[in-house]
Amino acid sequence: MAKLTSMDTAVLGISVDSPYANEAFAKQIGVTFPLLSDPKAQVMTEYGIMMRPKLVENYEYKWAQRKTFVVDKDGVIQHIEEGDGAVDPYRAVAVCTRFRKTK
Amino acid sequence: MKKETVARGIRLLRSVLVLVATIESVALLSAQQTAITKTALQVGQRAPDFALLSDKWETVKLRDFRGKENVVLVFYVLAFSQN
Repeated sequence: MAKLTSMDTAVLGISVDSPYANEAFAKQIGVTFPLLSDPKAQVMTEYGIMMRPKLVENYEYKWAQRKTFVVDKDGVIQHIEEGDGAVDPYRAVAVCTRFRKTK
Repeated sequence: MKKETVARGIRLLRSVLVLVATIESVALLSAQQTAITKTALQVGQRAPDFALLSDKWETVKLRDFRGKENVVLVFYVLAFSQN
């Protein structure tokens, strides 16, 4: 993480959890970057990572995919990491290093 | 005559079974696919802006980083799940 911040790169975590839950989660795992709350999954829908809702009786369960987006200073998406690799920040670090070199 | 009718019946039954199996597998496939509610973003596209509350109860806007910092957006599933 320190490696990323040294490259003018901010990290933002996003989930449907409430700020209360994120506050506790941040304390538990000791993250230094902001954990953002998207309770209605509006941003997640915008980013196209919501999967089709599963209907159980009358309750609609919604799931998100794990995904990491790397956005450059111009606000353009430079890289998208999907699945299990998305949790691993090292991949994102590698990408940032790569496109930093190309610039 | 009777034998022929039985053979035709069997053939018909078999084709119906094949049809049912095909429909079933297609339905199963589409159910397993990660149907996304909106088309996924691609590399090279502009990242949609947002303003969300952080764990410190502060508003964080994506546009505030523009021209200053790159941003790594990590979408995780649920807190406390290591996901």
